[in-house]
Amino acid sequence: MKDESEEKKGLTRRDFLKSTGGAAAVAGIAIGGLAVGTKEAAAAAGPMPKKWDETYDVVVIGSGFAGLAAAIEAKNAGVKDVVVLDKMQVYGGNSVINGGDFCAPGTKLQKENGVEDSPELMLKDMLRNGQYLNHPELAKTVAYNAKDAIEWTESYLGARYTKLNYQGGHSVKRANGTISSSGSELTSKELAKAKELGVKVELRTKLVKFVSNKDGRIVGVEVRKGYKFPDESTGKTAFIKARKAVVLGSGGFSQDIKLRQIEDPRLTDKFGSTNHPGATGEALLAACTAGAMDVQMDWIQLGPWTSPDEKGFGDVPLFCEPLVGYGLMINPETGKRFFKETGNRKERADAIILVGHPVIIMGDSYAVNKQVVPHRLKAAMENGAIKKFDTLEDVAKSYNMPVDTFLKEVARWNSFVEKKQDDDFGCMIFKDAKPTVAGPFYVARLWPKVHHTMGGLVIDKNAQVMGFDLKPVKGLYAAGEVTGGVHGGVRLGGDAMADCIVFGRIAGKNAAGEKAWG
Amino acid sequence: MGDDLTGGFTMIQEEKRIDALTRGECFRRAFFALWLVALLVVGSAGATSAAPKRVATAKPGNCMACHGSQKVLPQGHEDTKAMTFEACKECHTKTGAPRLEGIMPGSHLHQLSGVTCVKCHGKTKKVKAVEMKQCATCHNPDKLAERTEKVKPENPHTSPHYGTELDCNVCHHQHAKSENFCSQCHKFDFVVP
Repeated sequence: MKDESEEKKGLTRRDFLKSTGGAAAVAGIAIGGLAVGTKEAAAAAGPMPKKWDETYDVVVIGSGFAGLAAAIEAKNAGVKDVVVLDKMQVYGGNSVINGGDFCAPGTKLQKENGVEDSPELMLKDMLRNGQYLNHPELAKTVAYNAKDAIEWTESYLGARYTKLNYQGGHSVKRANGTISSSGSELTSKELAKAKELGVKVELRTKLVKFVSNKDGRIVGVEVRKGYKFPDESTGKTAFIKARKAVVLGSGGFSQDIKLRQIEDPRLTDKFGSTNHPGATGEALLAACTAGAMDVQMDWIQLGPWTSPDEKGFGDVPLFCEPLVGYGLMINPETGKRFFKETGNRKERADAIILVGHPVIIMGDSYAVNKQVVPHRLKAAMENGAIKKFDTLEDVAKSYNMPVDTFLKEVARWNSFVEKKQDDDFGCMIFKDAKPTVAGPFYVARLWPKVHHTMGGLVIDKNAQVMGFDLKPVKGLYAAGEVTGGVHGGVRLGGDAMADCIVFGRIAGKNAAGEKAWG
Repeated sequence: MGDDLTGGFTMIQEEKRIDALTRGECFRRAFFALWLVALLVVGSAGATSAAPKRVATAKPGNCMACHGSQKVLPQGHEDTKAMTFEACKECHTKTGAPRLEGIMPGSHLHQLSGVTCVKCHGKTKKVKAVEMKQCATCHNPDKLAERTEKVKPENPHTSPHYGTELDCNVCHHQHAKSENFCSQCHKFDFVVP
């Protein structure tokens, strides 16, 4: 092994200039307030390189649910060389921090729990909640293949689902929860299978551009290897040839403040995100630059159940969601309710944004003890996101609310709970709900966080990406959150896993079926 | 950056700070950086650079071998030239001088404990980043997780996301300051050696 001082002497003037150029580029991004990474996408799809550094049959971008499913299926369709590239230093993207609910109709767990369900009903739920903006053929593909997809993850990959959960907006319980309540139960099994099949997984490899031939067919990608997110000056350029196809499973752009503000100007840096930090949109934009078409990009979902007092998804959503229909949501400025607590994600998030500052959700000891998982409550109380008060007056004082108005409002809510009907906002009040009277009272502040981007690339039911000429972008497939149209205006809880596995598999199979171009 | 061996280390630090600066200050800094780099090119390459050399053959306690005349130890610190980690720990006890873990980069702790550059990177002309399986030859991930089972608020060596398979280098950098990877989403105040 050589001493580093010796190597240093070999540094040329050109190397120094290169690193200086990098510094200037980063400074430029900081000044412009651009999200890291969006800059590269401005350049057009790259021309063919003189020499390819690596060659594979199928190149998959992204190592979450969709990307890994595509890699496995491509391999199983008989393709020899498959690589999965991910820009992050860990695999799995959002999928490993996902809550592990997989919606599918007619599953074993549903039968065990006596739940009647059908693909027709799941499709209906997707369309109704999606405000009929879903591309029906895509939504149908998910609803009608979800059962087969979850069974594939169980019998072929070995993923375990142990409880049946309810997710808002669905008309029945159809969320099959993993044993660990985390999507990682599935990603870890996918990764193990992919590796067993000989799929190569390369981390810290960032897509910079798609490479097209003169007919506009995607033939490979330009990447930076050894990239260290989010430092754009890192990594070494390499060209990777995709003999058959590229599959894009790079996820959404919830963490891309610049891009999401272009689509929905309300979503400034005032809003955090539940996503992993790498959920930025440069791969999606690179695809657009290479001719792929985008759709419904401004349908960006916020979680109305998140707290500004903790990071990421946090524990408060699992306090808030079980409490709606039992407790009440208050605007601290007025001391009054302002919206239907059981409204869907979109309605509630929009209502809170309109209020303009964090609101509170509260429950008394009856509701909280009945509805909230103790260790979640404990965790959020320890991190300070949930607070406990002996009296309602204390609650009012702590949040600077007009005490009398607040007490009257709670009394009014209690009268609605007694008769199980909310005259003010039409909140669903559950049968076993009781008036909010029994101290101590538990309170959390709520401020929405960006959770899911429904929009993305236009695909057909074969996961083939479509171009601005309304024709297929040859050699390019996509699956999961990077695509648009599947969920329309609202992506329902538990439908992301179904979407990713269904379309990931389709994309992988069809990528494998492409005729090699060279 | 963690395994950056190209000598661009100070530049990268400079870039990170730029985020927090005003527009005018940004330009001034950028120009200053350019000027500095130009100066270095003109001067004898890197002789005055703040980035230490990485002399694989240096004795672990010999700070000057890599850091040159740059003062890296507190004023009046005992001569370390002949020291090993065991000797350091004579003063750096739980109640005495501060813990060295978290102050010195991991590579130094390794060196002082007899784990030299070659032992991880191998005998090679082209030094490459070390893969996790190399760390695991000494630090078995499952055993580590057992050892830190009682750390609050969570065990840092296992998680619902990655089990015990999260790459060591995500937190424990050897040639840069270590970081708390969990803290990008969680409020876990781990001290990371």
